[in-house]
Amino acid sequence: MSKFAVAIAGLALGAALTGPAQAQLLSHKDLSVGIATQIAVGAIEACKAQGYNVSAHVLGREGQVVVAVRNPAAGFATFENSMKKAYTARATRAPSGRFAEQVKGNPNAAQFFLANYVAAQGALPIMVGNDVIGAIGISGAPGGDKDEACAKAALDKVAAELK
Amino acid sequence: MNRIAMVAGIALAGAFVAQANAQLTTNKDLTVMTAVTIAQTAVETCKSQGYSVSVHVLGRAGEVLVAMRGDDTGPQTFENSFKKAWTSRAQRAPSLNFANAVKQNPTVGAIHLSNMVPAQGGLPIMVGMDAIGAVGVSGAPGGDKDEACAKSGLDKVAADLK
Repeated sequence: MSKFAVAIAGLALGAALTGPAQAQLLSHKDLSVGIATQIAVGAIEACKAQGYNVSAHVLGREGQVVVAVRNPAAGFATFENSMKKAYTARATRAPSGRFAEQVKGNPNAAQFFLANYVAAQGALPIMVGNDVIGAIGISGAPGGDKDEACAKAALDKVAAELK
Repeated sequence: MNRIAMVAGIALAGAFVAQANAQLTTNKDLTVMTAVTIAQTAVETCKSQGYSVSVHVLGRAGEVLVAMRGDDTGPQTFENSFKKAWTSRAQRAPSLNFANAVKQNPTVGAIHLSNMVPAQGGLPIMVGMDAIGAVGVSGAPGGDKDEACAKSGLDKVAADLK
């Protein structure tokens, strides 16, 4: 029984073990267009109630747009900004405000070389337990904290569905 | 005298042109909630018929007002719903018209623009004779079914479109 044979046997065993694992499918929850619309509209209405016109993006697991809403009563840059905030929150699995804090004083953070990161508060990840299934981004209120509060209000409203 | 008359004529024409250019245009445009209602209604109508669809609502300048990706739809439906809406807005007509035009003339110039698609399922959003935007639907088994869902969205807000 040479070392070589043992190594081969080991590899074969390893392959046998990884085989079934790789063959398994992933199983996870994802946003429906219905609930994503509820989240986007909920945030826009929460901000509207406070006198702020905002645009909203709800992105899915892969950062894809599930619902995008441009508010013509808000500045035109809010549409892009709400997408980028949501992208940042999805990518970092954390509020986009946290990324903004982390890169303060570091204008050359590597993430800035990616197209869709933005160092601005106003987006939250959409969680099912510990799983990040998407993100909501808001832009247009006078302050990222106010944007984020509207995003939070919308998520709170559908909390019962997010499981 | 002739020359003076000509100069006077040019000055007069200049005055008219300046005045015409200086006037602002007055436009009606979609509000965010009207646009959302159109898109949501189109998604729900198709859903009630068993079809998952993606929807785009575009504004006067072809800008995206609302985009919705349907549950379990192919990724192409998102793009296609945008392009159907774009085609409708550009031509101020159902995207079916462009589909028919391309059948007649496959090399029609507009086919070379990035966002035109010869496919039924897009409708312009009209206020009287003014196209203020468009809605595009994609994902149902047939452009006629897409268009019917787009129509249901417009019908829902008909009272606001004036």
